[in-house]
Amino acid sequence: MSIEEIIKQFEPVQHNLLNILHALQDRHPQNCLTEQALDETARYLKLTKSSVYGVAKYYTMFSLEPRGRYIIRLCVSPVCELLKANQIMAVLEKNLGIRAGETTSDGLFTLELSECLGQCQEAPSMMVNNEVYNGLGEEEVQRVLVRMRRRKKK
Amino acid sequence: MSKLVNLTIDDKKISAPEGANLLQVAKDNGMAIPHLCYHKKLSPTGACRLCIVKIKGQRGLLASCAVQVSEGMEVTAFDDELEEARKYLLDYLLCEHDESYDGSHPDEFRELIFRYGLDKKENRLFPSIWKELGYPKDESSPVLSYDAAKCIKCFRCIKACDEVQGKNVLSFTNRGIISYIVGGFDKWGESECDGCGECIQLCPTGAIVEKPHRSEIKIENGICRVRTTCPYCGVGCQLELMVRNGKIVRSNGVEGVSPNDGRLCVKGRFGYDYVQHPDRLTTPLIKKDGKFVEASWDEALDLVARKFTEIKETYGRKALAGYASAKTTNEDNYLFMKLVRTVFGNNNVDYCTRLCHASTVTAMLRSLGDGAGSNSIEDYAHSDCMLVTGNNMIETHPVTATYVKYAVQRHGSKIIIIDPRWTPLVKDAHIWLQPRLGTDVALLNGMIRVIISEGLIKKDFIEKRVDGGMKAFESLKALAEKYTPEYVEEVTGVAAPLMEEAARIYAGAERPLIATGMGCSQQVTGTHNVFCLINMMLITGQIGRPGAGLNPPRGQNNVQGVSDVGASPFTYPGYISVEDAENRRRVAGIWGLPFGELDGEKGLSTVEIMQAAYEREIRGMYIMGENPMLTDPNLNHTEEAIKKLEFLVVQDIFHTETTPFADVILPATAFAESEGTYVNSDRRVLRVRKAVDPPGQARQDWEIIAEIAKRMGKPLGNYQHESDIWDEIAQTAPIFAGISYDRLEYHGIQWPCPAKGHPGTATLFEERFNTPNGLGKLHPVEYAGQSEKADKDYPFILNTGRILYQYHSSTMSRRNKSLTDFANEAYVLMHPGDALKYGFSDGQKVHIASRRGEISNIRVQISDGVLQGELFMPFHYSEAPVNRLTRDELDPYSKIAPFKLSAVRVGR
Repeated sequence: MSIEEIIKQFEPVQHNLLNILHALQDRHPQNCLTEQALDETARYLKLTKSSVYGVAKYYTMFSLEPRGRYIIRLCVSPVCELLKANQIMAVLEKNLGIRAGETTSDGLFTLELSECLGQCQEAPSMMVNNEVYNGLGEEEVQRVLVRMRRRKKK
Repeated sequence: MSKLVNLTIDDKKISAPEGANLLQVAKDNGMAIPHLCYHKKLSPTGACRLCIVKIKGQRGLLASCAVQVSEGMEVTAFDDELEEARKYLLDYLLCEHDESYDGSHPDEFRELIFRYGLDKKENRLFPSIWKELGYPKDESSPVLSYDAAKCIKCFRCIKACDEVQGKNVLSFTNRGIISYIVGGFDKWGESECDGCGECIQLCPTGAIVEKPHRSEIKIENGICRVRTTCPYCGVGCQLELMVRNGKIVRSNGVEGVSPNDGRLCVKGRFGYDYVQHPDRLTTPLIKKDGKFVEASWDEALDLVARKFTEIKETYGRKALAGYASAKTTNEDNYLFMKLVRTVFGNNNVDYCTRLCHASTVTAMLRSLGDGAGSNSIEDYAHSDCMLVTGNNMIETHPVTATYVKYAVQRHGSKIIIIDPRWTPLVKDAHIWLQPRLGTDVALLNGMIRVIISEGLIKKDFIEKRVDGGMKAFESLKALAEKYTPEYVEEVTGVAAPLMEEAARIYAGAERPLIATGMGCSQQVTGTHNVFCLINMMLITGQIGRPGAGLNPPRGQNNVQGVSDVGASPFTYPGYISVEDAENRRRVAGIWGLPFGELDGEKGLSTVEIMQAAYEREIRGMYIMGENPMLTDPNLNHTEEAIKKLEFLVVQDIFHTETTPFADVILPATAFAESEGTYVNSDRRVLRVRKAVDPPGQARQDWEIIAEIAKRMGKPLGNYQHESDIWDEIAQTAPIFAGISYDRLEYHGIQWPCPAKGHPGTATLFEERFNTPNGLGKLHPVEYAGQSEKADKDYPFILNTGRILYQYHSSTMSRRNKSLTDFANEAYVLMHPGDALKYGFSDGQKVHIASRRGEISNIRVQISDGVLQGELFMPFHYSEAPVNRLTRDELDPYSKIAPFKLSAVRVGR
C-alpha cells in the first residue's frame, strides 16, 4: 500500500491526524514515519508541516528514525522494577546485543523502555509491537525472541 | 466594550471599558507590570506568569493578562510577595536560558533580569543548565535565525504566525524542558514560512532575529529610527527604518497604526537593501555616440530643456509626452503633471495605472463617481463575505490578506474566489469558482440572474440609490435573462450549483466586500467585468456602509496618489475632467497662469503615447520611474516605438530595460531618501520620510522636474519644502483640502477630507454616490467572446501575474538578496493533462511564442493550479519578458491592455 492509499482510507478531517500517523507507521517496514509520509499527511489534512511534525515528535510512540520490525517495549514502571525488570533488561540486551533505544543490525528488533503498560498484576511486562507479554522470566523472553526470529516475515 | 467600569490598581482609581484586558489596562495607565508572553495583538497565553496580581475576593495569584476588568475590581499589582514570586519565576526561566547578548535585537527578558537584579549571579537560586539541554539552532531560513537556547517558549511567535498573519507555520516539537519551536520538519528554510518576520517582531528575547546586517547592529548605540511608508505595494504599511552610519540596517512594522498595525510582508521587512545597492545611478548620464557618459547636472538639465523646447517649437506642443510614476511621491507626480500641462502645454501625461486598474477606475467613476476603494483595509477583518476576484492577494497584498484570513479563521467569514488559477487564498476559501480565462462577464451575469430569480435583490436600495430605479433594474433583468446556469456553465466551465451558492452567499451577507484585482481588470473587457461587479453590488445594496463595498487593492505604493494628484490625460487633481473649463480656470488662478494656456483637450494614455510615438506624432518623452520596456504589452512594438523617439529622458534609480533607449538618464532618489506623501489603496494619505542620504549626485524627483521647467523658461513655483507642494495640491484637489503635513505626523488621513477639522472618510458612498445626481448607475453588459482564441497554431491561453517575492519589473526587488534567495527564476505553469498530451516534463526548458513575439529558456512547472489549455507566467523577470507575447489591443473604455490573455504555443 502506498502512503497515499493508506492516508485516503481516512476522512480528510484534522481529528484523524493520530489515526493516520499510526496507520502510516504500522505499515512502514521500519516502523517509522518518513518525511514524505508527514508531508502527504499535512497536505491531505490541510495542516502546515510543523503542526504534523510537532504531533509526531510529541508522542514517544511515534518515531521518525527507522526502527526494527519488532519494537520491544519493556515496562520500567515501579511494580515491574520491583519485580526485577532490570534482569529482564539484561537478558534482552545480551540476547539482542543492543541497548535501550537501539536497533539490531539485522533490522529486526528495536529495544525501548516504556512507562506502565497496565499489567501490574502479572509484572514484569513487555510489549512486542501490539502483543503484550506478562510474568516474564528469562526463559519466556528467550522463547519470544526465538519465535520472532523464526517468524521473520509477518 | 463601550460601557466604562471603575476599578483600582494599587489604590489608583482607573476607569476602563468593561471586559478589557486587565494587564493592558494597567499598562495603558502607566503601570509597569512585567510580562513576556502577552502581546496586545495576540490572544492571552498565560504562560510566563510574570503578570500575576492579586484581586480582592479571589484566591491566589492571577495572571492579569487572562483577567477581564469589571466594576469595583480591586487589584494589587505590586507588593513584596508578588515581586518575590516574579523574581523566582524569572530565575527559574533563566536557568535554562543562554543569557549571552550580542546587542543586535531588543530583549525584554534581559531587561527584566536586570530589573530584578538577577544579572548578579549571587542573587540567583538556580544553577544554569541550558548547556546540558542540547538546544539546537536553525539557520536554514534565508532571512532569520532561530536559537532555541534563547527561547522562553512564550508562544508569541507561534501566535504571531497564526493569529496575526494567518499562516500557522510554527509549532513546538518535543516535550517539557527540551521542547522548542520548529518551522516545517525542523528546518525553517524548508517550511511554508514566507519570511514576513512577524515572529521576529513579536519575539521578546531575540530567539528569532533577522539575518541581514545583524553584525552591524548595536541596538543601544548609534541607531537612528525613521518612520516612513513601505515602497512596495499599495497597502501602505508603516515602517520604522533603523539606520546606522547612513545605511538602512533593519525595517520593522509600526505597531498600533493603520493600515498594518505592525504587520509587514517579506518585501516590507527585507526588501530595503536595493536602496544601498552599488548599481544605483549616481550621476546624470548623456548618450554620446551611442555610449552613456557622465555629465554634470547643469549640462544634463540644459540639454533636456533645450531638446524639449526644440521639439515643441518644431512639431508643436502635442509632440511631447510624459510617463509619471506610481513609485514616487504625490509631490513629485504633482509637479510632473504640472510640467506636462504648463510647460509641455498638453495633457499627454499618464502612468502605469493604465496597465493596472484603469478599467476598474473607469467603471467605478462612471457608475459610482469615485474610482477608489470604498472601504478601509481593516474592514476585511469584520466582513462576513469576501468576493475575491482575479486577486492573488496573499502574494500581491500580503498584509491586506492577513485581515481577510483573520475574518475567516477567527469569525468564520466566507471567502468566494473567482480565479482561473489557484492562488494560496483558496486554502481559506469557502467556494472557488474557476472560470475559463476571459469569461468573467458571463459568470457575473449568471450570478446576477440567480440573485434576481431568487428574489435576493434590495428593492428599497435600488429605488433610492440607483439612477432610473426599478426601471433601470428591469433592463438589467432583461439582459441577465439568457445567462441561465446551464449557459453560464457551458461558457465558463464553472459548475452551476457552485455559482448559484456563491451568488446566494454574496447577496445574503451583512457586510460583503468585493476585492477585485488584475485578473478582472487586465482584459479587453476589463471595464465590462467591473460594470458587472458593480451591477451585482447595486441591486443587492451591498455598498455604502462600513464593511460593504468594492475595493481594488492598488499594485504600487502610490498608484492611488498619482491619479489623485492628476497625473492623468483625462483628469486634473481631484478627478476633475480636463475638459471642465470652470475647473481649469480655477486651477490656472492657483498656478498664476492665463486660462488660455491650459489645454482643454484630453491627452493620450500610456499605450496610446507609445502608439503615437510609433506614428511619429510624439517626438520627445520624459519617463519618470517607469520601465515600459518590460511592463508594456506587446513589447516588440513598444521597442520600435521608443526607438523612433527623437529625444527620451529617463529618470530612475537604476538602469532598467528602458534606459538603454534614453538620450539622457537622470539619477533620482529612492523612497528612503525622499520626503513627501503616498496615498494607499484605502485612500489614506501617508507620510514618506527621508532616512538616508541619496548616493552620489542623485536628486529628489520634484527638484529635477522643477529645474527642467525653470530651464524651459516656465518655472513651476517657488517650493522650499515638499510641504509647500502639498499645500498647493490641497488647494487644487478638493478631496485633499483639509490635509496638511502637520496632521499626518502620527497617522494617515483618508480622503475625501474637505476641510481642516474633517477627520477624513473611512467609508465612501454612505449617503450618496459621487455622480452628478448622487445616484449609482447600472451598466448592463453582454458577454462577448475574446478576439484572441486558442487555435491549432497557438493552442494555449497564457495568463500573467505576480509572485510574493518579486515586484513588478523587479528593478528593486531583485536587488535584495533576502528576496532573491526565496525566488529568482521565471517559470511557466502547465496543467498535468497538457504536459502529458504534449510531452513536457517538470523542470524542462521551453520556448513560448505568440503572434507577436517569442521568449525562450522558460522552466516548465507542472501544476493543477491552472486549467487545462491555460498557462501562467510571472512577468517580473527581464530574461523572460513575457510582455513580448502579450497584446496591445485595448479595452475601448479604459485603454487597459489584456495582459491576462494571449494565445501562445510552447515548443522545445
